Amino acid sequence: MKHIITRLAEKLPLEFRVLYGQFLLRVVDLEALSLEGDVTGLLGQMAGILILYGVLTTLGLLIAVGRLSGLSAGLIPLLWKTQQSFLSTTMLVAGLIAVISWDNIFPDRRDVMVLGPLPVRPLAILLAKTAACGAVLGIAVLSLNLPMSLALSLVAGGIPHFPRNFAVYWWTTAAASIFVYGAVLALQGFMALLLERRWFLRLSAVTQLGAFAFFLASYFLEPGIGAPAMTVAAADQGMLNRWPSFWFFAMLHRLSGGLPTALDGLARRAWTGLAVVVCAAAVSLALCYLRTMKKTVEEPDLMPGRRGWAPRFGSRLQTAIVRFSVRALARSRQHRVVYAFFLSAAFAIAVSTLKAELTSGVRRPLTTDLMMPTFVMMCLSVVGLRSIFSLPVSLRANWILQVTQLRASEHYIAATRRALLLMAALPVWVVVALLSLGYRPWPHVAVHLVVLALVGSILTDLSLVGVSKIPFACSYLPGKSNIQYMFWAFVVVFVPIAMEFSNYEQRAIRHPRPCAVMLAVLGTMATGVWAFNRRRSKLAALYYEELPTVVITTLGLNSGPLRAPIEMHGTGEAEIHPS
Amino acid sequence: MLELCRVSKYYAGIPAVDDVSFCARPGEVTGYLGPNGSGKSTTMKMITGLIEMTAGEILFDGRPIQDDLMGYKRRMGYVPEEPYLYNHLSGYEYLTMVAELRDLPARESAEQIDGLLRLLSLSDDRHASISGYSKGMRQKVLIAAALLHNPDLVLLDEPFSGLDVGSALVLRSLIQELAARGKVVLFSSHELDTVERVSSRVVILHRGKMVADDSIANLRKLMELESLEAIFSQLAVEQDSNAMAREIADLIHA
Repeated sequence: MKHIITRLAEKLPLEFRVLYGQFLLRVVDLEALSLEGDVTGLLGQMAGILILYGVLTTLGLLIAVGRLSGLSAGLIPLLWKTQQSFLSTTMLVAGLIAVISWDNIFPDRRDVMVLGPLPVRPLAILLAKTAACGAVLGIAVLSLNLPMSLALSLVAGGIPHFPRNFAVYWWTTAAASIFVYGAVLALQGFMALLLERRWFLRLSAVTQLGAFAFFLASYFLEPGIGAPAMTVAAADQGMLNRWPSFWFFAMLHRLSGGLPTALDGLARRAWTGLAVVVCAAAVSLALCYLRTMKKTVEEPDLMPGRRGWAPRFGSRLQTAIVRFSVRALARSRQHRVVYAFFLSAAFAIAVSTLKAELTSGVRRPLTTDLMMPTFVMMCLSVVGLRSIFSLPVSLRANWILQVTQLRASEHYIAATRRALLLMAALPVWVVVALLSLGYRPWPHVAVHLVVLALVGSILTDLSLVGVSKIPFACSYLPGKSNIQYMFWAFVVVFVPIAMEFSNYEQRAIRHPRPCAVMLAVLGTMATGVWAFNRRRSKLAALYYEELPTVVITTLGLNSGPLRAPIEMHGTGEAEIHPS
Repeated sequence: MLELCRVSKYYAGIPAVDDVSFCARPGEVTGYLGPNGSGKSTTMKMITGLIEMTAGEILFDGRPIQDDLMGYKRRMGYVPEEPYLYNHLSGYEYLTMVAELRDLPARESAEQIDGLLRLLSLSDDRHASISGYSKGMRQKVLIAAALLHNPDLVLLDEPFSGLDVGSALVLRSLIQELAARGKVVLFSSHELDTVERVSSRVVILHRGKMVADDSIANLRKLMELESLEAIFSQLAVEQDSNAMAREIADLIHA
């Protein structure tokens, strides 16, 4: 198989193959990685989450089908629900990939300056970039859908119809993914063509985050699919016209055969939408490559800036660290996008909560409906930003932090804590305070806000245990973060704990004594974790390079003029400098 | 005074710096020369405390720098060889951050930053992102950051790299002025003309070892050579440059 792929690849033009390899590697910012880091490891972790999700939902489907024992009355609603749900999830993943690879397809200044003087055709660059982005999208969609495509195709029509159902499934999935990705490309392309470059660059960052929020909000707000009769009725009333996942669901059934007439319009929308998006994306890309490449070179090196006002955040050192962190997050696309993953989940929860509040229309009593989501939001924000703190902005520029390290490490660690509190916990607290305006009575709301603040403090200090580094100033070791374990730990461990605690809080806030006990316990925990970290930080040393865990103990018997010095990291691990 | 006593740095048994000893005195400009890969930048990084020595000792005013590294850093200003800066900050923000990290008084440092940016012709672009700065502009930001806190020891690793003629002249005069005001100035450069005009004494490295440590006048006398370039060529340059140029032209069939 590998031999066949290699033979096929060799038939492609050499400049395409070289460019494709280069652009594929740029999915991840290599400068952010530790020397021990591995790009494929990081991408593998991401694919792992998608594969696991696909496998688990497929197993769920097969178990549910097994229980139905082939009764078609129950089988069809189950199949419809699964098909629409997976199309929706695939489109969400495609949207998120489009956001992650924002601007990647378009030529940037570096591409123009490096490739411009070489005899490389712009078309080759365009095709290579499109292929690289397409490969990443394809891998993600394949990882997510492969198990489900096999299961659904088999269950929907048995073995005789398996080949057709399988082909239709993948055609529709590919069409839905291309629709979303192409829509994003078309939007970017026309923005690049119509706006001045400096305005495009400024608006692009905002649009990227807006697209992120849009995809996630759409995913959580779109109507669920019910029984076929209800779906047909909803389609008749035009309620599904705004939701592209239903368009492609209708396309799937049109191609499989057996599409209810009421869904015809939705299927036509899918075909029309796909054609429009593909044409728009192709035209805008082609025009971009022909026109904006020159503009990219001609633009001035310096865009004039303005002095902004920035508040103080405590001592000079704390102010320096917090401002550095805020600016790094605000001005680095890579960091914004990764943090957006966490924030968007929190945003979706906030939207769902707000949706419930708006539809109810009355001041409601405080229940776990609000409490539980707020704990999840706080956790996502704090843990998410703590993860982002691990991605460096510029490893090589860290020398200035080392040269100006004039105080004990504990001061820098305290500044890091302040940055995490101000940037992660405080915004969530403010959002929750605003959401709580629709709830009564006020004393219960006030108590919950105090509880949330204490939970935020505890989460902040827990996430900084063993951490002795300045935000964005330490190399990143992909294998060390174990994203998929963190993700499932959150789902399996934290969410149930949050649920249980919400139930307890709901009971406690109604009685003064249990309420006081709850606040006292939380206060003690918050103080305890803070004190533990503070004490540890007095002995810690700041570090700027993540190293893999030492698995082999060396005896240091190799020859050298002197015994090599040992440097202790804040983690307690020793680094032996080779002699 | 800065003293290096038998300083060595080994990487996997290979010496990058081997048994180097010299002094840089207040009021003097000490030039630190050597071909590429001779160990100049490695020595500079050891003096700044960025990397650890394998052997030897570095003393400042008679005390090992490791005894009070933070106190030493307060008195040391460093311009690295490569202009690595945080690209997401503007020049003004970067210098403000350095002032805050060094705990300099806010008002005074703000005035100094304004003045330095103006004098280094960066005032118009102070709020633009460093990512758009040219190499020379980045170098100026580094120089400003190194001098902001009035250091007693000034370490400059190839400070003229990327500077235009006007800025290079200013920097040359600045180096002399700093030495005249009692600072210890150690700078490395490939521009032998500049080193010859500015330095009181030179230290020459070759393959990690020190091959000369004397005033330029004494070296001329000892080696009976007219210029620093000739001295340097004799001590540290191995290849015949004319022969190498012919070989390169032959290779590309020029």
